[in-house]
This record gives sequence, C-alpha cells and structure tokens, in this order.
Amino acid sequence: MGVAVLGMGICGFTPTSTGLSYREMIAKAAKMAYRDAGVTIDLVDGAVSAEEDFPSGYSIADEYVPDQLGMVRKPVYTIPGDFMHAVASAAMQIETGRFDILVIESYSKASNVLTKDEMTRFAFDPVYNRFGVSPHWLAGLELNSFLGESEYTIEEVAEVVVSNRGAAISNIASPYGDNFTIDDILDARPVALPLTELMMAGHADGAVIAVVGSDEAARKYARKPAYFAGIGWGSGNSILERRDNSFSAGTAIAARRAYEEAGVVSSSDEIDAFFVSDLYAHRQLMHLEALGIHGTQKPVVNPNGGALGGGDLFEATGGARLYEALNQLRGESGPCQTAAERVLVHAWRGIPTDSCVVAILDNERRSS
Amino acid sequence: MSNRVAVIGVGMTKFMRRAQETPGELAAEAVRMALEDAGLEREDIESVTLGTAPDAFDGIHMKGEHLIAGTGGTDKPYMRHFIGGATGVMSPIHGWMHVASGKYNTCMVVAEEKMSSCFPHPAGAFLTIFDRVTEQPLELTLIHIFALEMARFMHVYGYSERELAEVSAMIKRNALNHPAAQIAADISADDVLNSPLLSWPVKRFDISPTSDAAVAIILANERVARALKKAPVFIEGVGFRLETAYWCTRDLCYPDYVAMAARDAYSMAGIVDPVRDIDFFEPYDPFDYKALHHLNALLLDKTGRTVRDLFESGNLQHDGSHPICPSGGALGVGNPIAATGLMKIAELYFQLSGQAGKRQLQRRLRRGVAQAWGDLMQAGTVVVMGADGASPVTSSRWNTMKREDLPGTPITSVDEVANIADTPDLRYAWDNGFAISTYLDGLKNGKIRGSLDTRTNRMMVPARSFSEIGDLAPVTNYFDISDTGVVKTFTISHVNWDSSPLAKGKVNIFAVIALDGINEDMGLVHKLSDVEPEDVEIGMRVKAVWKPKAKRSGDILDIKYFAPLGAGMIKLDIKQIKPVEMDVLSMAQKQGKIPLSYRYTAGIAGSKFYTDLGKGKINGTYCAARDEVMIPPAMFDEETLELLDPEADAREIDPGSGRIRSWTAVYEDRQGRMLEKEKVVVQVEFEDVEGSIFGILDADADDIVEEGMAVKLVKSGKVDGPDKVVFTLQ
Repeated sequence: MGVAVLGMGICGFTPTSTGLSYREMIAKAAKMAYRDAGVTIDLVDGAVSAEEDFPSGYSIADEYVPDQLGMVRKPVYTIPGDFMHAVASAAMQIETGRFDILVIESYSKASNVLTKDEMTRFAFDPVYNRFGVSPHWLAGLELNSFLGESEYTIEEVAEVVVSNRGAAISNIASPYGDNFTIDDILDARPVALPLTELMMAGHADGAVIAVVGSDEAARKYARKPAYFAGIGWGSGNSILERRDNSFSAGTAIAARRAYEEAGVVSSSDEIDAFFVSDLYAHRQLMHLEALGIHGTQKPVVNPNGGALGGGDLFEATGGARLYEALNQLRGESGPCQTAAERVLVHAWRGIPTDSCVVAILDNERRSS
Repeated sequence: MSNRVAVIGVGMTKFMRRAQETPGELAAEAVRMALEDAGLEREDIESVTLGTAPDAFDGIHMKGEHLIAGTGGTDKPYMRHFIGGATGVMSPIHGWMHVASGKYNTCMVVAEEKMSSCFPHPAGAFLTIFDRVTEQPLELTLIHIFALEMARFMHVYGYSERELAEVSAMIKRNALNHPAAQIAADISADDVLNSPLLSWPVKRFDISPTSDAAVAIILANERVARALKKAPVFIEGVGFRLETAYWCTRDLCYPDYVAMAARDAYSMAGIVDPVRDIDFFEPYDPFDYKALHHLNALLLDKTGRTVRDLFESGNLQHDGSHPICPSGGALGVGNPIAATGLMKIAELYFQLSGQAGKRQLQRRLRRGVAQAWGDLMQAGTVVVMGADGASPVTSSRWNTMKREDLPGTPITSVDEVANIADTPDLRYAWDNGFAISTYLDGLKNGKIRGSLDTRTNRMMVPARSFSEIGDLAPVTNYFDISDTGVVKTFTISHVNWDSSPLAKGKVNIFAVIALDGINEDMGLVHKLSDVEPEDVEIGMRVKAVWKPKAKRSGDILDIKYFAPLGAGMIKLDIKQIKPVEMDVLSMAQKQGKIPLSYRYTAGIAGSKFYTDLGKGKINGTYCAARDEVMIPPAMFDEETLELLDPEADAREIDPGSGRIRSWTAVYEDRQGRMLEKEKVVVQVEFEDVEGSIFGILDADADDIVEEGMAVKLVKSGKVDGPDKVVFTLQ
C-alpha cells in the first residue's frame, strides 16, 4: 500500500440546498479539496465518481461528472457504489503505477428526489422483493433478526441514535444534531416495527470530494495527508432470501482484507476511532460485530455524529465519514476531537445491499 | 509496479432481442461458461467487476447490486464500473486495475444488459441522458444525437449515405460467422438505404439492434495464466477519457476523446504508429458511420485520409490489411451496450489465440485494438491486446461454436412467459442553481444568456457559474447575447423520443446552432421550422422565433424554434446584464419524472416459482454441489455458479410447513405515505431447505406474530408479483 488522502472538501450538509445546482455544489467542494490537498488541477491525473443514475434523475450520470471537477478530457469513470468504493478503485488505479493523483467525487441532492422510498424500492428484485409497502420493510425485518440472533437489546439500538445525534450537535457540517433520550427513539412513529422513524438517518444534500495520491505525491503537496494502511471491500449475498439478515457478511469480508493489509490483529486495541455506517441505528451495531468489535468493548464510534447526525447523503455518505476521519487524524475536529492516530472508515450502501468497504487510515506512514 | 494481465477464459450468452432469463441468470450463464473455458472454479476468482449500462434499461436501481449473485460476486470483493456506452471496454480496464495493481491475482469481468424489460421501448430510456433543463423538453433521443453527429461527419469527411450503408452491410456480413449473432444477415447497401428512415440521415439498418446478453472474461496475472498452460493474450495498453457534457460546444465530426484514450493505450503498449503496429480493429459500431468515425481517432488521423484510403481500397474488409469488426460488431451481433464492448474484447482474445473459427483472420496477428464510446459523445475507452509474439493456434470449442451451443433462452414476447409489471413513480424537482436560474430568466425575457469567463474571454452558453475548461475559474459576468446563429449540423426526424413514428407527413428538424458574436462552436440544440426539410443546409443562418411574452415561462421552449434568416447584416446586441437575485423565489426547480414502465420476465427460476404458486405449490431446487434444496427455486447456485434446472431438479415442499424466521409490521406504503392499516411482511423458512420466501402475512390486528410460528401458503389463483405471495398463521 502506498496511497494517501492528500486533502478533502465538502459543500453541505443541509436538508435542502436551493441556491446551488449540483454542478455548483460540486465545484465548490472541489476547489476546497484541491486547495486542501495543495494541488492545482493540472496535477490531477483523473477522476472517479461515486454515483447511481436514479438519485440524479439522469441516465448515465457520469456524463455530468468531468465539468465541475475541472477534469474535462481526463481519464474519468464512475463507480456505482459508495464514495469509499470509488476510493478503493482509485487506490488500485494508483497502485498500477500509471496514475499518481486522482480526485474522487460524490454528491447528494436528496431534497430533489420527491419519491425517495419509491427509488429505494426500485432497487429491490422486481420478481421477488418489491412489495406494495415501504422498502424499509427490509430494515425492520433485519432489525428483528438482529435482535433475535444477537444479545443486543432494542434499548442499545436506540442508544446509538442518542449518542450519534448528540455528538452531531457540535459538528457544524451536520444538520441533525439534537438531544434525544432512549424513550424518544423507542416511542417514535413506527415505520417497520421494530424500526421507528428516529432509528433511520434523515436525508441531506451535499457534495464530498477527496484528492488521493501516491505517498510520494502526498509528501510533496499535502499539508497534512492521511495514509491508507489497508482497504478492503465485499458484498454479502444479493439474494435476500438466502442471506443471514442478522450479520453483515460484506463488512466481515472487507474488514478481513483491510486488517490483513494493515497488520491489525485486535481492532478494538489498535484502532482509535471507528467511522461506521449508521444509516439505520441497528446497522452500526451489526457492522461493529462484523468488524470484530463486540458488545462488551466500548470503542469510540462516530465521534462526529455519523449519518444519523450528518444525513443520508446517498453515495456520498462514506465520503462524509472519510472527511470526519481525516479531520480527526489531523487534530482539526474541534469539539468532536478524540484521540486519533489510526482510524477505521466503514461504508455500507444501504438496503437492499450488504455491500461494504473498510479502510484503515493513519496520520503518518507506518513501516510494515 | 504493473503485473502483466492476461485474458484466460471467455463465456457469453446468445445475443437476443428478448431473453427469458433475468439479468442475474444471463450473467450466471456467461460466468459458468467462462469458468469452464478457463478451467477454474468460483473459489479461484479473487475479485469481480461488473459493467452494465443505464439502470433504466433493466429497470432496477442500483442494478450492480442486483447482479452480485449471478456474476459470482457473493462474499467477494465486488464492484460495478460505469461509463455509459463505453462501459464494455472499461470492463477489462477496471479488471486490469484489479490485477495490474497486484491487489488480486484473478478477476472475473462481467458485462450484462437486459434492455427488453423497458417499455414503451428501450430507446425511450435515452430521453433522460440529456440535460433536463436545456435539452429534455425538446424530447431528443439517442437517434437524434447520432443523426446530428452522422450528418456532421458526412459533411466534413465527405462520406455518402451509400458508402456508410456499405460499411453496415460489410459488418453485418462478418457476423454470419459469430455464434452469438442476433441479426447477422447478408444484406446489401441497397437494403440499408431502403430501410425505414428514422431521422435523416439515420435509417433503421444503419443502427445496431437493442439486445439482451451477458459476456464474461477472466483476467489473471501472467504467473497464473502460464501456470494454467494457457496461451495468454495480454492486455498491453489501456486508455479512457471523458469529454465535457456540453456536446453542443464542440465539433462532433472527430472524437478527440477517443484519440486521447487511444494515445494513452498506445503509449502503454509501445505503439508508435497505429497504422503499422495494429493488425485489426474492433471500433464500437452502434451506428455504421461510427465505425469509421472512431477509426479515424484510433488511427490518430484527424484528416480522415487514412481511413478513406483503406475504405476505398477494400482494406477494411475481412481479408484486407486493416480489417474492422471481424466479430460482426454491434451491427451484426447485437448491441446490449456493455456486453457489446466485452464481446469485442472477447473477439480480440479469440483472434489472437486462434479461436475465432470461421471468423479467423488469415494473417499473422500480433496486436488488436477494441474501443467503445459512450454518453453524449463523450466517453472513449480503448484496449490494446497482444499475443506476445506468434499467433498461437489453440484448438478449442470456440472454433466450432454455433448459436445453439450458447446459453440463453430467446422469447418473442414477454407475454409468453411469467412476468411482473411495475411502473416506478420516480419524480424530481431539480434545483436549477444560480447560473441556470439566470439563463432561464433570460429566456423568459426573450433573451439567450451566456456568462463570460474573463480569463479566456470565452462566452459560455448555457450560462455557467464556473468555466469547466481550465481551473474552474469563477464566472460572474452575465450577458444577453445574440439569438441568431449558424447551423452546424441537423437531422430530420420521423420518430418521437420513444421511437414511435410521428404522424404521417410530419417531421421534426433538430439542429445544433452556433450562436453569432461569441466563440466559435459555442452553441445549443433546438428545433428548426418555417423551412422545407430539403432546404436545410449546414451553414445556413437562423434566428430564434419566440413565444409571445405572456406565454413564456423561463424554459428552453420559450424559443418555439429557429427559422431561416435571410442574407444581410444583423445587429449584434451583446449586453451585460445583472444576474438574478439569490433569493428563494428566484431559485426555482425544474420538475420532471422518469417516464418509463417495465415488464420483467420472472426468469427461468421465477417462472417455476410463480407457476407453482398459482397451483398452491412450492418447489425448491436441488443443488448437487451443495447437496441442499434451495428456495426460492434457482437456475444457478450463487456459491458454485453451477447451473441448475428448476424443473428437472425440483423438490416439492409442503406449503403448509412454513415457519416464521423473521417479520416486520410496515406502516407506510411504497411512496412513504402512512398506511390505513399496517401490513406484515414475513420471512418464511422450511425444514431442511436452504433459503426462505418473503411474503405478506394475512393476519388480523389482534393476532400475535412471533418468530417460529407455523404459517401456510394461501392459494390465490394467478400470482403475478410478490404482493400475491400470501401466508396465514396456522
């Protein structure tokens, strides 16, 4: 591994973003990222965008990628996956030795999608799984399975919301920080019992950009880079009927590779903070289990408030966690700051998937 | 540093207008064949990458996720890559990244497309590739943008319709020897010229057909390839480039982005002179002119002279010095977008390893190049492959492969098989943002507005907040500019956006118009009218005809059309204006929706499932490799990618023997509105059977529902979708 994050930029995150088109949002975040990375656009070899068509409303969303990144006519492609999938792909690209510095982009204009649940349902298998009800049925059923198979309680699930949205109050980029109690979460409006409204991350608009590059490029240009020690990704069974709904196989596969590359033996001892997907509160716990962190351990998780605090940003969600992780490693997280020399960033693509990415980052390049 | 990457196996389904298989089943058929071809099992595959073009075709959001099981990606590192139509040649490039980086030793690369699920017609899905504010209201479709490019290409390079028809005939004839070919035919140039005119100059036989298919290739590093005693064909060079989305601001006659991608690939492959160093070509040919349009770029010859000479001397033919599309191309084999590109890569592999059967080029082959194109005339992907010296002659079943030997179940109509209808309600309100709001405000006032990049003096239309060329320089100066201009290219359309014909005698004329007084080539697309189609010419002067002020709403259709402007001087009135205020009333949204509906085949396994349910029965599928019965019924096992027969391997399951594995009470409908009465979705499992079935639990409000409770299937006549899969408590 010899890949680093040189810098990042964001625009957002807010429930609506009326005054900015997606192009304007991305351009803003890109300029911030290039400045933070210490690079000029001409030094960037290409781009990888994390996008799906339907959230943008375009077919072939990648058409509209190069312009607002300044990447016209450069090597550019899209990964329909989370931001962290795009990061993983860019890392491979750099490790071929043919590319040095790449920009990663993703955005959400969730407020522009008037029928979000319809869109989520549209991702389900049309032959077997598209019921005439909210697609969150899968999350509710999954939560039910998880509670049945694990030793976690529904109160512990609710505590995830209390903790993350509480932390987000101090995060200026997060729109959903607030003071809740466990009872607030449990008594909230039911969506797909035992899942209540407050156990789900609300959507937000925003753009996230990262400039990644070789270690050499990082040393040359970046003011405070973060170094990838390991990156893994994996997908659990896409056939829902044959999936173990209480366990995130995708996370376990991704973690195994990332830990192997980083030489991590005991994650709770060796990793200072975990930025874990919490699009649904129970998923944070499921993901921690699959990362090898069990209920009795008390790691630092989502110190900036996660997605429950920062919003479901569609494919950009993992990028928001990476941004938080970078700030933590740099000691630039203000009131959210926690001790951070080695952190783990995890992403999950949301229902109906079990597709996940795990990346381990250090504040300096450690010799293996 | 780079590890050398080789192709060691290929699988593909027939290319079909309409397949019974689901997308996953198509992929599984191709993957199983590739594994057998390479002599490997799924456990030998360390990573998987999937290419598939717009989700709007298959009608599944996050389509890549849906395809994990069928591609062999279960419990593996799996990613989807996407770059529109250029995806199929991006596929091996993305796979190459997996192996050349040293991260993985092997990578399964799959390209799949099922275009037939989309109604009214797959072509309709292309409406939504255009800019929703500045272009979609014109109801353009892919045929139109191709026609505009074809007309420009013909004009600049001097090709006649007949010459391009000859190219179509030649490529379709090549396809007669391709086992997967959907519509190989021995047709003449006259047949092409006489085929229905869709949008001048495009006729039906100038276009490749839409198709359902899957292709899979296996990549391995050199060590693995040689250990398997393969005659490896290496990926020697890769290149991919993406142009600006503003396609009306450049001359479409020559695809610079393809030439740049080619240069990248050639540089990596050590190719100095493509004319000398490349033995055969598979340019992407969704339309016949495209084969030559792309070939100009692949030969790095913007003058077009080389291709013109090769064409006229017959040297693009199968027995010529620079044969193109020996596979039979998209035109002859079919165009399931992403799978087409990978089919071309497969052709490079077959030719370079002596497995092309009757298509085998009869010369010493050292290198071939494949290329795909995509988006709004933007994406170019290029791969160079080489046989590392001599052309190895490999005796393999590919040499005698016939269409009936390939997997895939063609059907004539979706009504023939179990199918599920679904129309998604996808609605949007897109924030226009500052620059476009100013642009639309201009239209409302009967003005076309641009914004000026003062660093380069480049006036941009439509107005933009930053310059996409250079350093994203901020742009804050807005101008009302001329509404007159010059036609750069045009097309005369006889079809609607969804491919249905216009009323007899009616045509729509679309044109790209370069506006007067600003930068050359800075233009927009719109309609022409008040002119006879036969009088329209490239270079003619036109002026916007506006709706009356009271009828203008701040929309591109505030311009009704452009009409001919006579000769003589015009007064250029380019005036700086103040952009709109940044307030909530000015910052409007453009509303829209996805206007498509779908009829999904249930697939080989799903057909069994639904037919059984209609009789009140449930059958699982016995999988010998696992020694297990699986539900739902399956046509492939996602663990081993063994193909199964849901009919022959059926095992009956007592529909009254189900138990609840998990459940949830849902309080909202599919659009997120609260339900009057909650609905229970239940996951039902059966003893000694792997898997489960999801269904609706028909229960009363005061019923207690718990894990482990016994349930039974409700027999309910025709079961045509998941909502009709109903259980009750015992």
